[in-house]
Amino acid sequence: MAKKNPIKAVKDFWYGKPHTAEEGGRRLGELYEDKTGLLKHREWRGVKDTFYYMYNIWGYNYVHMVLDILKFSNNPIDFVKGTWRYRWMGQTYLPVIHWFERGLQGMRGEALAASAWHYRAMVSASIHQICNFFNADTRLHGGKKNDAYMHTIYANETVCGTLFYPWKDAGYQYLPMEMIPYFVTCHVNSHTVLNYIDAVQSIGLPGDPCPMCQAESGLFVLDDVPDSSPMVITCNEACDASVSTSTLQDWFADKPLFALPIPMQFDDPLVKKYCMNEIEECWKFIEEQTGVPFNWDSMVKYLERQNKLQRDEWEKWDVASKTDYYPVNGVAQALFRIYSTQYGIQTSCWEEASEKVKKIMYKCVEKKINPFPQTRHRVIAWSCAPLYFSNWCTWAYNCWGLNTIINMDSLMFDMEIRTDSYDNMLEDMATYHMWAPMRRMAVGGMHHIFELWDYMKRFNCDMVAMYDQLQCKGMQGVHGLFEDEFRKRNINAFWIPHALPDCRTVSRAEIRRQINDYMTTVMHEEPLDPSLLDFDDSMTW
Amino acid sequence: MKKLGKFLFKFCFVFVLLNALLFVVFFFDLDGKLMFNVVEPFLKKHYDNMERKDVLKEPYDLDKFPEYKY
Repeated sequence: MAKKNPIKAVKDFWYGKPHTAEEGGRRLGELYEDKTGLLKHREWRGVKDTFYYMYNIWGYNYVHMVLDILKFSNNPIDFVKGTWRYRWMGQTYLPVIHWFERGLQGMRGEALAASAWHYRAMVSASIHQICNFFNADTRLHGGKKNDAYMHTIYANETVCGTLFYPWKDAGYQYLPMEMIPYFVTCHVNSHTVLNYIDAVQSIGLPGDPCPMCQAESGLFVLDDVPDSSPMVITCNEACDASVSTSTLQDWFADKPLFALPIPMQFDDPLVKKYCMNEIEECWKFIEEQTGVPFNWDSMVKYLERQNKLQRDEWEKWDVASKTDYYPVNGVAQALFRIYSTQYGIQTSCWEEASEKVKKIMYKCVEKKINPFPQTRHRVIAWSCAPLYFSNWCTWAYNCWGLNTIINMDSLMFDMEIRTDSYDNMLEDMATYHMWAPMRRMAVGGMHHIFELWDYMKRFNCDMVAMYDQLQCKGMQGVHGLFEDEFRKRNINAFWIPHALPDCRTVSRAEIRRQINDYMTTVMHEEPLDPSLLDFDDSMTW
Repeated sequence: MKKLGKFLFKFCFVFVLLNALLFVVFFFDLDGKLMFNVVEPFLKKHYDNMERKDVLKEPYDLDKFPEYKY
C-alpha cells in the first residue's frame, strides 16, 4: 500500500485535490454510483469552494426556488396542485439541483461562481413561467377563466418573446407553450420527455421526424398542456416536421390560432418584406384578441433592456475570445444565451445574473485568474446540442481539457434591434424572428452554416465539436460538406451524434466514447482524469 | 449574565448541529438520492395511473374560428 503523504493530505483538504492524474488527481468518475449517476458523495473542492458551493449555490438556490414561487405565484397552493397534475412539472423540476451538479462538476473558484449565476437565472426564469402557467390554468381553478388567463398569450417556444413587448406594460404575459414542459425538462430530467415522444408515436405518427416536434405534439396527446390562455400563436420552428406540430396544436388546443411562420428561405429582401408583413399581421391578431392596441413605448422600453443585455454579452465575448479569463463554462454559457434570447426580458433575472458574471469576469481580468487552467484546446461547438447531455462540455473539460469557449446556441441572436423608428424596428424584428433557434446556422443555408469558420477565428478556437442531430434532415444533408471543409481547412473536429431530447438513440456513454476515440486515436492525447473515460450513467436524470 | 451565556451556548450548539446536518445532506447527495429513489418513482406511478382525456375523440373543427387574415 502506498504511504500517505500528510502534507499532500492537508493540502488536498484545504485546496481540494488537483485536477490531473499526474498530480494524484481527484478522479471524479469514482464519485458516481453505478448506472444512476447519483453521487456517492459530492466532490471535496477544498474548504473555500466546498462551502461556497454548499451555502451560495446548493442552499442559496433551494431557498430562492421557494422565494421565487412565493414571488411569482398568485397562490402557492396552485403550485402544489400543478405539480400533482403535470408530469413535466413534478417529475422534472424537483431534482433541479442535480442539474446544477452535472453542469458544475469539477469547477472551482470563479468558474464555479460565475457559471452558477447563469444556472440561477435559468431556474428563476423557469419558475416565472411555471407560476404563470399555474396562475392562469383553468384546470387548477375549476374551469374558471380568471384575470391571469385573460392576460396570457400562448406562443410556440420558437416564437421569440421580443414580439410581445408591446403588450407587456398592459399586463399581458407571453408564455411559450413548450419551453418549460418540453425544452427545459430535457436538460433537467431526460426521463420525462420520453413519455411525450412515445405518446405521439402511439397514435400512429412516424418515429423518424425531429423528436423535438414529436415531444411537443406528445404533450398535447397526453393532455399535459395547461389551459392558460385564450389564444395561441404557432410557428413552423423553421422545420417541416413542425408544420404538423402546428396542425396538431390547432386541433388539440382548440383556440383562436395565428400561424406565424419562420420563412424557410431568407437573406432575400422580398422574403424579409413578407416576414415583416406577417409579424404585423400577428400584432393585429393580438390586438383583436386582447382589445389592447400595440404600445410603441412599451416596445422600446423592453427592447432597450434587451439590447443592453446583448451589449453585455458582447463585452463578455470580447474577454472570452481574446483572453483566458472568461469564467463561464460551456454549458452555462450556451443554455443561458438560448434561454434568455428566446424568453426575452420577461423578468429581470437575466440582467441581474449578467451583472454578477461581469463582476466576476473583471475580477479575473484584473487579477489575471485563469478559471480553466487545464485548457488544452479551445473548442467551438456547432449546430444543435444534445439536450439530455448538454453538460458534455463540463465532462470534456474535466476529462480531456477541452474548454468549450462558445457555441452556436449563443451566437444565433448576435444582434441588437433598432428602436429609433418603427420601420427600423420592424426590419430588425423580422431578422431576429428569422434567426430563430436551430434556424440561422443549422438549416439556414450554406452562408450561415459556414459562419463557423469566422466565429472560430473570432473566438480563437482550435477545435470544433460538431453536433450531429441524427433526426434533423436539414443538418444530415450537410454532414459531408462539413467533413470536406474540415479536411480542406485542416481543422481538428469531432462529431457528437445525438437525437436532441431522446437519450435512447445515442446514449451519453456513446457520446463520451466517440470523443475519447477522437482524442486518443487522432490527437494522441492522454486524459487528464482517466476515471471519467468510461462509466455507466444510463439511468441518470 | 449566566443566562445569556447559557442562551449563547445553546444557540451556537443548535447552529453548529443544524449546519452539520445540512452538510451531511449536501455532501452525501441525500437530497438527490431521496428524489431519485423515493419521490420520482412515487410521482411517476401517480402520473402513469392518472386518467387523461382522449384528445383524439375531440372533433377537429376547422371552421370554428375565422382565418385571421389581415
